[in-house]
Amino acid sequence: MPTLMPPPVREGDDLLALRQEVRAFLAEELAAGTYRPTVDTWLSGWDRAFTTKLAERGWLGMTIPTEYGGHGRTFLERFVVTEELLAAGAPVAAHWIADRQVAPTLLRFGSEQLKRTYLPRIVAGEVFFGIGMSEPDSGSDLASVRTRAERVDDGWKVYGTKLWTSGGHLADAFIALVRTAPPAEKDGRVDRHSGLSQLLVRLNEPGIEIRPVISANGLHHFNEVLLDGAFVPDDHVVGTLGEGWHQVTSELAFERSGPERFLSTYQLANAVAGPDGDLDVAETGRIAGRLAGLHQMSLAIAAALQRGERPDVPAALVKVLGTTLEGDIADLVDLAMPAGETGGTAALARRAVQQRPGFTLRGGTNEILRGVIARGLGMR
Amino acid sequence: MTTDPTTVDPDLRKVLRDVLDGDLHDRLGQATTGVTLDVALWDQLSELGFTALTTPEEHGGSGAGWLEAAALLGESAAAARHLPFAESDLLAQWLLREIGCPPDDPATARTVAIVEPSGTARAVPWLGQVPVVVAARRQDDTLAVAELTPDEVAACATITPVPTHSGQPRADLTFTADLPEATVLDAATAAGVLDQLALRGALARAVQGVGALDKAVDLCVEHTSVRVQFGRPLTKFQAVQQLVADAAAEATLARAAVDAAVLDAAATGLTGPSSATKVAAARSCVGHATSVVVRNAHQAHGAIGTTQEHPLQLFTLPALDWRGEFGTTRDWDRFLGETVRSHPNALWNVVVGEPASDANPAVPGVGGRR
Repeated sequence: MPTLMPPPVREGDDLLALRQEVRAFLAEELAAGTYRPTVDTWLSGWDRAFTTKLAERGWLGMTIPTEYGGHGRTFLERFVVTEELLAAGAPVAAHWIADRQVAPTLLRFGSEQLKRTYLPRIVAGEVFFGIGMSEPDSGSDLASVRTRAERVDDGWKVYGTKLWTSGGHLADAFIALVRTAPPAEKDGRVDRHSGLSQLLVRLNEPGIEIRPVISANGLHHFNEVLLDGAFVPDDHVVGTLGEGWHQVTSELAFERSGPERFLSTYQLANAVAGPDGDLDVAETGRIAGRLAGLHQMSLAIAAALQRGERPDVPAALVKVLGTTLEGDIADLVDLAMPAGETGGTAALARRAVQQRPGFTLRGGTNEILRGVIARGLGMR
Repeated sequence: MTTDPTTVDPDLRKVLRDVLDGDLHDRLGQATTGVTLDVALWDQLSELGFTALTTPEEHGGSGAGWLEAAALLGESAAAARHLPFAESDLLAQWLLREIGCPPDDPATARTVAIVEPSGTARAVPWLGQVPVVVAARRQDDTLAVAELTPDEVAACATITPVPTHSGQPRADLTFTADLPEATVLDAATAAGVLDQLALRGALARAVQGVGALDKAVDLCVEHTSVRVQFGRPLTKFQAVQQLVADAAAEATLARAAVDAAVLDAAATGLTGPSSATKVAAARSCVGHATSVVVRNAHQAHGAIGTTQEHPLQLFTLPALDWRGEFGTTRDWDRFLGETVRSHPNALWNVVVGEPASDANPAVPGVGGRR
């Protein structure tokens, strides 16, 4: 089999010390009752105050260089901090998208002015982002987006609809993938990847309406963002006009490889696997082993990101395996959950089962990702 | 971040591939005819220093570590070259050094028989084919260790071959008399040595298993690329792509867990505080990956993959054998599960590879000894 993964990594003592620092912080916060551990907190645990506390400790924008107000730390350091926060079921949704993918995108493609405007505020936990990719008619087929931007003096006016924008009702901005030019023809064929651009859209601009899309369990994290002539100044174009597709696809490893792709139900796993749990002992071991393997994979990818590599195929592997596992954990617990059960574990299980369908959809469906893996194997 | 290397020298890997690779066709029938020790190849590999790879140089070995041993085991599994590398170097010679009797002929192929108090060692690898058997017999809490020639074995024990999927030689060894001239380890030493043997054997099988699984995925890609149905190669069908992608994902997860255990072994000699749980995670992941890879690989290959004339079975059958040696997959699942249950933080400790608990459950794997 071709080597699909970057080389393995052994965590050193410096990373362990950082883990212990985060654990001590979380223990204090838990004791003080500032957060209640639950599942899927990176999507639905929006808590500005908690984010501010993380920022004060230097755990936001960790990999952003110091010249942009960041902490100049490694992706491995960011990995252990985020992994500890996720395992603890801490509310990290507010800053998650900004910290995970907007910062790397701006660092790689953003103008000096964009970087100076937004990166220090991401580090401080003062500006929050959503994702502006999917549309009503563009899910897995992202290149079919129809949201378009029209040239005006000093900038662009954006028309169209973005969908599944988690946290959009609370976020300050998103980076939207929009068509700024018609697709070019190349060798007699339409190149629909051309003419797309990334625009940083401030969500409080006139011409933007944000409508809630309520999940079946009543949670509100999804939104529909209607853009009817929303203005984006020229200096909020991210990267190069027409290079949006290339830019979007180059950030996928950040989006798909992290520990949030296997730890969404960790709090539930811990509740049923520990000394007080009643999960079958062999199942407990199987799950622990898989989580340990996924930890190693995600860690190896963090090291690859640190080296400046773009481990898209490894990220797809983590996401396929991890999101399946975190969903299976929810289901496994539910199989033994009597109707009407109350109490902490039952509440976690209920939430996990309800959130589960999204695990293998968000950030690229597992079917799309298997295609990415097949390409990595040379099958397509 | 540690600066220790985490991958083996690519030149070594290339040498291993060159020397182990070769036509598979002469071995296609070995599941039924049985694997026999290729003495000529063993001698050739001895001259290259590969048969006593981790034996220290002062004892005539190559003085390499677990990274190199894992490369050797993985490449030999991926080439379907079954030789007693693990048994001889990682187990027998290690055990002889532990009891203070390092052999002066480290290139001689050996195996280890861990004899239960009942007097039987179950499914001993290469028994009857290697010139030396290192018998480790548990008596009360002590361990009696002796090196036996085939004649000495015949004098005090009977050999009963047991079935395997792949034709790799395994046999029960039942003692009818005491071990001659044994070195006896006291209870405390014996327990540690047995646990170490179990972990070493279990990790070796995990490494071999994942080597075979990777090769099975390779064969899937190869087969689906050339096999044409409905006018197109099978690779063009999304359903087939997804089947193979899932197999590759499982093999990758297993590889990650195995790599972590091998790195731990390289650093601690498997005596570290989290060595046992890392080996357990590796064995669990490899065991379950074997289920998926074997199923999907056969599905992708169609009927030809079920035949003796197709090489797929040279990798799927050993993988199935190996996941049942030095503890079953279920044994290792339970070991991990019990570890996780021992303490509220133990699950997380296992996940991130930190020491999980002071009181480890009994290490599975040495002939159902507990």
